[in-house]
Amino acid sequence: MTDITPESVLRLHDRVSVRPEPFGALLYHFGTRRLSFLKSPSLLAVVDALGEDRTVADALSIADVPDAQRPAMIRAITTLRDSEMLVEVAA
Amino acid sequence: MDSMTTPAPADVDATLVEANELVEDVSIDGMCGVY
Amino acid sequence: MSTTVLDRPAPAPRLIDHFESGLNSPICLTWELTYACNLSCIHCLSASGRRDPRELSTDECKAVIDELQRMQVFYVNIGGGEPTVRSDFWEIVDYATSHDIGVKFSTNGVRITSELAEKLAANDYVDIQISMDGATAEVNDAIRGPGSFDLAIRALERLSAAGMTRLKLSVVCTRTNIGQLDQFKEIADLYGAQLRLTRLRPAGRGADSWHDLKPTQEQQRELYQWLLAHGEEVLTGDSFFHLSALGGSLPGLNLCGAGRVVCLIDPVGDVYACPFAIHEEFLAGNIRGEGGFGEVWRESELFTRLRAPQTGGACKSCAFFDTCRGGCMAAKFFTGLPLDGPDPECVRGFGEDALADSTAERPKPSGDHSHLTSPPRPRAVRLTLEMQRPTGPPVAACDASPLAGMQMN
Repeated sequence: MTDITPESVLRLHDRVSVRPEPFGALLYHFGTRRLSFLKSPSLLAVVDALGEDRTVADALSIADVPDAQRPAMIRAITTLRDSEMLVEVAA
Repeated sequence: MDSMTTPAPADVDATLVEANELVEDVSIDGMCGVY
Repeated sequence: MSTTVLDRPAPAPRLIDHFESGLNSPICLTWELTYACNLSCIHCLSASGRRDPRELSTDECKAVIDELQRMQVFYVNIGGGEPTVRSDFWEIVDYATSHDIGVKFSTNGVRITSELAEKLAANDYVDIQISMDGATAEVNDAIRGPGSFDLAIRALERLSAAGMTRLKLSVVCTRTNIGQLDQFKEIADLYGAQLRLTRLRPAGRGADSWHDLKPTQEQQRELYQWLLAHGEEVLTGDSFFHLSALGGSLPGLNLCGAGRVVCLIDPVGDVYACPFAIHEEFLAGNIRGEGGFGEVWRESELFTRLRAPQTGGACKSCAFFDTCRGGCMAAKFFTGLPLDGPDPECVRGFGEDALADSTAERPKPSGDHSHLTSPPRPRAVRLTLEMQRPTGPPVAACDASPLAGMQMN
């Protein structure tokens, strides 16, 4: 699979339900029946900001993610793409 | 920072960045229940 | 000056730390639709058999589903009793799956016709689990009743033939079936099902049969090794974290989720912290209250108490406490052990010691919806001084029937 970069565009898989929790959020995929735990409210904000017309870089800015945390966020987004919670949108 | 109290949210986020564990998969079959 | 400990970041909160303080909505919600059942399994955790006349109506069930949808509950685990004996069963399942809620239901197979199997296979929001407690009719039926093995196999056959992939075979591990683990795996593989092995708890009718049916300590070791060998291929519903002291934790949360991650809605709308703990002590409220299920989940006194940090009590000093967490709350409760002490099946033997020292009276399960058979169904004899329920078969034949032994000529 391709590497996720700040220029990547992803959206939430349409069979995923996002439920905010005090510590971040729970994501449940009705197809794979997998459950993912987002352990950071910032990451939830990033996931919420992703969409058809936004790059990862856009979403990170909207969510006010400090530069130092961006690499970890991109790793997290990659994990979510790999587990099909997020889907890449073709350029 | 030399505080030994519970870290403030910003500190926790920084810690999580270090730990690289922002996402964790949980097996729904690994929870206690009958079914 | 010592090297500062601040060189390393403080450990991040673990997942289970977050879970222990509760969630906005349950994850693993069990919903028992009815106490009615065509079987009378001797270890039934809900002591099911007869329908309770106060059972939730179809409309009440739909109102619960509406609320679960608002709470964004992802899926419900439906069981009973035997849920398919409700005539509105499919209506309820359909309503749930068309309101963003996945359904995983458990059945003994009695109503799984080929037609229903096709329907189930076609609804991607439905998963199914077939119960079986012996890999042969002989072992299975001794626990679940005559014909029950055949019922389960027939259901597996039909579901498999219909192309059902989201299929599990669920087994309660007992003294009589630990020797059949490989055979269970073969049966599961044969029908394209995932095998699930779970723990026998002394709950419901299980309270009577527990001492005779629970695996021996030697069998527990055997089971643990078998589970380790099969890894994530075999599910356990987090049943065996009390065995983690044998050599490390098994896959799963390794956490009692009662009132925090899981809870039970029973057929009359009572909300319990856990399906293995149907007792007033663990009753949080009722969905028929003004605030419905949501208010009970969020604000009941019991759940608030369970979500407060637990001390771990006597077990805290044990080297294995981190993965064992003191074991199963329900198992401790129904064997009369304190909740802040060892599990009755503690692999280090602390539970056995505690049971031997214990003078506490064993709580009896709150409800008994068992079939009233005539003659009375034999129950395991309880070797205690409690006389709360019939404790054995009739002493004399005429206890069962006034006509017993009479020669009619």
